[in-house]
Amino acid sequence: MQYLKLITLFLKANILIELEYRANFVAHALVSLGWVSVTIVGTTVFFTQTDTIGGWTFYETLVISGMFTLIGGFIQMFLQPNVQKVIEMVRLGTLDFVLIKPVNSQFMASLRYAQLFSGVDVIAGGFIMVYAMGHLGLTPDAVTLLLFAVMVLMSMVIVYSIWMVMATFSFWFVKVGNMTELFNSVYDTGRFPVSTFQGVLRVMLTLVIPIAFITTFPAQAILGRLDAVTFVASVVMGFGMFVFSAWFWRFAIRQYSSASS
Amino acid sequence: MLNKYLALTRSAWMLSLEYRAEGLVWMMTNMLSIIMMVVWMSISRNRSVNGFSTGDFVAYYMVGLIVRQFASAWTSWEMSNEIREGSLSPQLLRPIHPIHRHVTANWAEHVMRFVLLGPIVLVVLILTPDAHLFLTPISISAFLFSLLGAWFITFLSDYAIGILAFWTSQATAFTQAVYGLRTVFSGVLAPIQMFPLVIQNALDWLPFRYMLAFSNEILLGQTRDERLLFGLVIQWAWVVFFFILTRILWKLGVRSYGAVGA
Repeated sequence: MQYLKLITLFLKANILIELEYRANFVAHALVSLGWVSVTIVGTTVFFTQTDTIGGWTFYETLVISGMFTLIGGFIQMFLQPNVQKVIEMVRLGTLDFVLIKPVNSQFMASLRYAQLFSGVDVIAGGFIMVYAMGHLGLTPDAVTLLLFAVMVLMSMVIVYSIWMVMATFSFWFVKVGNMTELFNSVYDTGRFPVSTFQGVLRVMLTLVIPIAFITTFPAQAILGRLDAVTFVASVVMGFGMFVFSAWFWRFAIRQYSSASS
Repeated sequence: MLNKYLALTRSAWMLSLEYRAEGLVWMMTNMLSIIMMVVWMSISRNRSVNGFSTGDFVAYYMVGLIVRQFASAWTSWEMSNEIREGSLSPQLLRPIHPIHRHVTANWAEHVMRFVLLGPIVLVVLILTPDAHLFLTPISISAFLFSLLGAWFITFLSDYAIGILAFWTSQATAFTQAVYGLRTVFSGVLAPIQMFPLVIQNALDWLPFRYMLAFSNEILLGQTRDERLLFGLVIQWAWVVFFFILTRILWKLGVRSYGAVGA
């Protein structure tokens, strides 16, 4: 209950900040839309030369593009700003002020800030998926929608965990900014079905940096071709990574001696 | 002037040695090109796509890595920071234009990255059986010349955007927008030949193709003779255009500049 109240409070503070810089908000929202069109053009160009990529048709791939845009928006909205802040606080020693608060420190460190204009991407991603589904003539039933919701939730939990682990590394390494860059560039593979990639690359994108769980598998769910194994694997992956990231955070906090003391 | 450049280059080189590891990670951010290459390879596995075989795609993107490495600029980020924080002010007092420090910093990074990237590209090109380059004295010298043009266009246009920070705090949003256009139309997503004809014709006249794809095409032997000459003329016309533009913008910008730190 207390946590829910805090989330509302954080959100309010973030909205106030954004309202302060309205021109900035508009400019960035427009840039976001620009990148969405880059994603779509990028997908379209391939399909002017071929009918399928990795066995997926144009509109099916567009569903993945929608998922890619949606999760990308989620990353930029919540994960990027908070993780950047954690890295900065560890460097400056101001993380102490988070640690002494009477709430879970990981909650506080990972949900305090939000870059609201990235919500544009989340919405645009949703639209792309609805549009593509319309062209495919698919109307998902309640079960499919439920499965999809779970898959999207797991997708978010997985990216959240990856970003938290990266943030936690900042307790030992100063240059974690590079690591997030690295993740962003690998995340780019998520625009395409994982079946596009062959051999080692595909195994890596499924198991090491699980991009497949983030975009391809949820798209499969809404298209109604999710098999039980993939579903169970997603849930296990989501829970497993979340538990690990929480453990890793607590482990790091215990090791942590503040820069300011 | 030459002495000044040597001194600046030395200090920039030292700086880039300091941040070696960062350069290594930066190279990984070329992933987008690699991903696009892999996707095109998967499409062209059984048939050629608009005249491109799998080997052609490998050659195109490998040459592209080098070109993109060389024709890249991030000065607008630094500029907008320096202008906002006022650290540009002392540089304005020096007897040398601040652009020269930015140029040498840019070059030192390029050399660093080339040392890291060159061997990898070479190995991939040799190991890929049908990745052929079109190497004649003319194509090689035209390639080098176009590379220089690509660098000028990229650096000067980025510098012009950086100068905008004198007037607006949204310069970085603008950089992003231009970067997006560049990603689509310079040939990172796809070789220009993959686009519909209308877009191809428009891109003959716009600066984007000349930042990357044009150089690739020369070394792959896809753009020759009159097309090559025509391209070089347009490319260098853009160089002149951006050169004049940055000069004018800089003059106007400095005049309207009220430094924060002053």
